[in-house]
Amino acid sequence: MPVIEGAIIYANLLVLLSIGLTITYITTGVPNFAQGSFAVFGSYVALTMFQLFKIHPYSSIPIAFVLGGLLGVLVYLVTLKPLINRGATIVILMIATLAVDLILLGFLGAYSGSLESITHKSTTKFIFTYLDFEILNTSAIFVISSLIIVLLLVFLFLLLYKTKFGIALRASMENPALAEIMGVNVEYTRLFSWFLSGSLAAVAGCLLPFRQEIVPATGAIIIVSIFAASIVGGLGSIYGALLGGYIIGLSESLVTYELSILFGAGILVYSKVVSLVVLIITLILAPRGITGVNWRRVKWLKSIFSST
Amino acid sequence: MAQEYILLNIIIWFGLYLIVALSLNIEYGYGGIPNFGRALAVLMGAIAVGGLVNRILMAVWGISGKIVEASGEVKGVANAIIAQNPAFGILLLLLSLFIAGVLGAVVGALFILPSAKLKEDYLAITLLAISEVTFMVSYYNTDIIGGYYGVTVPDILAWIPGEMRVTGFAVIILAMAFLTYLVVNRMLNSPYGRLLKAMRENEEVVKAFGKDIMMLRIKTVAVGSAIAAMAGALYALYSVNVIASSFSRVEWTFYPFLMVLLGGLGNNRGVTLGVLAFVIVKILLMTYKYEISSALHLPFEAVWLEYILFGVLMLLILYYRPEGLIKERPIITEPIKRISEKRKLAQKSE
Repeated sequence: MPVIEGAIIYANLLVLLSIGLTITYITTGVPNFAQGSFAVFGSYVALTMFQLFKIHPYSSIPIAFVLGGLLGVLVYLVTLKPLINRGATIVILMIATLAVDLILLGFLGAYSGSLESITHKSTTKFIFTYLDFEILNTSAIFVISSLIIVLLLVFLFLLLYKTKFGIALRASMENPALAEIMGVNVEYTRLFSWFLSGSLAAVAGCLLPFRQEIVPATGAIIIVSIFAASIVGGLGSIYGALLGGYIIGLSESLVTYELSILFGAGILVYSKVVSLVVLIITLILAPRGITGVNWRRVKWLKSIFSST
Repeated sequence: MAQEYILLNIIIWFGLYLIVALSLNIEYGYGGIPNFGRALAVLMGAIAVGGLVNRILMAVWGISGKIVEASGEVKGVANAIIAQNPAFGILLLLLSLFIAGVLGAVVGALFILPSAKLKEDYLAITLLAISEVTFMVSYYNTDIIGGYYGVTVPDILAWIPGEMRVTGFAVIILAMAFLTYLVVNRMLNSPYGRLLKAMRENEEVVKAFGKDIMMLRIKTVAVGSAIAAMAGALYALYSVNVIASSFSRVEWTFYPFLMVLLGGLGNNRGVTLGVLAFVIVKILLMTYKYEISSALHLPFEAVWLEYILFGVLMLLILYYRPEGLIKERPIITEPIKRISEKRKLAQKSE
């Protein structure tokens, strides 16, 4: 079942990206339009490690994790924090992340050109699929991406529910002003969320070339899927990001695959249309995402309809 | 010659970007609608010319076949007619602008419908996603505007020989931009413009005065998109071919936002100044990109440098001068003028 395997791999990576997007949205209140470029940054970290030091992309996951986290913190401290301190509106903050996305794109493009002049190998367009191997008859990327998701979920669970920092984090997600009064340093939780967001995106970016071709502008293409995943799940909830990531990731791959059987392979390039359609349907039916729906009330409505 | 060429380029891009920036200023500067999908309307203008006008001409002249090849034939026939009869070129220009305006207005009105239910952050994301996906579809699908092959477009100035053609277009585009400025300025210095500003400041108050916010938004984005689509049509006619990749988010959404914020929100004179400043920097960068690359020994293309530069510029504006080069002034209507005069008189008599 290579199709389903591929769909799950893609969904796993999308979950990493949408959890990152959601967590910064919860703590900072701004949708980060640069999330896609954070991922491409991770791809270039992996490419650099491979081309210059012959380190396999799987081994450079920890390096990508740290560097991506630092990038996230840098973006927050340099661009968003000064604006938030000045009381900038949410639209201004969104425009700022658009600017960050463009700056990152510029740096990635410039970097890929510079790297190419050193290694004399293709860096403006690359894939890692030929580097993959098999573990127990399944592809390593499938095992590793699933393993990362499991580790991440265990880590998040332990952090959020078993530590004091986790309680502070959840408190400042629920109500930052109240948490601040109770002595929680909201600034720490923001820094932590941007670190985690950047590092998860970079890890996803490290693995993304195993599934699709990467160019410096790939971020602008995958951002649609990331937003769709986060919004379908509900921008305010980490579980929502998990759920939305799998819904969008699986439907994008599987629906386009089914359609391609019906209409021919030409339809495969329209995979993003599927995410957009799912996004718009969700916004019409449940503007606050799946986790934003009050399911008890829906059941109550259903019972009325069934009785009449 | 080189300097003349740079000047013409600046005029052409100033005109095109002024039209788009003014359209964004109506929606975002006055109305406060965060339209992160401006590029979609501009793309609609290109589709109007490359997709619709081409097909109309194909039907009229009985040319059949795929749009990619047929557009070449259409161009050949049309250019031959225009070379004999300039009036046909003018007719084609007016037809293109009309179709672009209608298509832009319809698409804009539909495009803003999600705003009925969404807060501004959700709305901005949705608009960006719609615009980005439409961009991808028109790039991959070869049946709309030729996808990655692109389509050719008749040269409406085929009767003007060679080098003078660019000058002709500079005149047309600048005239269109001037006309747009007059119309937009007139439209916004009216009760409608003040209503838009009121909506930006506080929607609830506008609702309390019995105005339908949704209708106002639909009208505003329809008008804004129609204007932006005309800029797209002009750009397509100028470059005599249409390819979806030249209607990217950076060029037609981010840069217009940069120009509007640089010049000053809700302030047409400021926006004009912002566009002029931006276009001069951009054209000089574009013209001297090889010189810049070799002088700085850059191992990469200068376009990446352009992205970094304009991204940083945007952050600097947001941080140091969020009100722009020229600040928005309070509106002085006749009743307010009378009241302030009365106050002055009262102060004098005291």
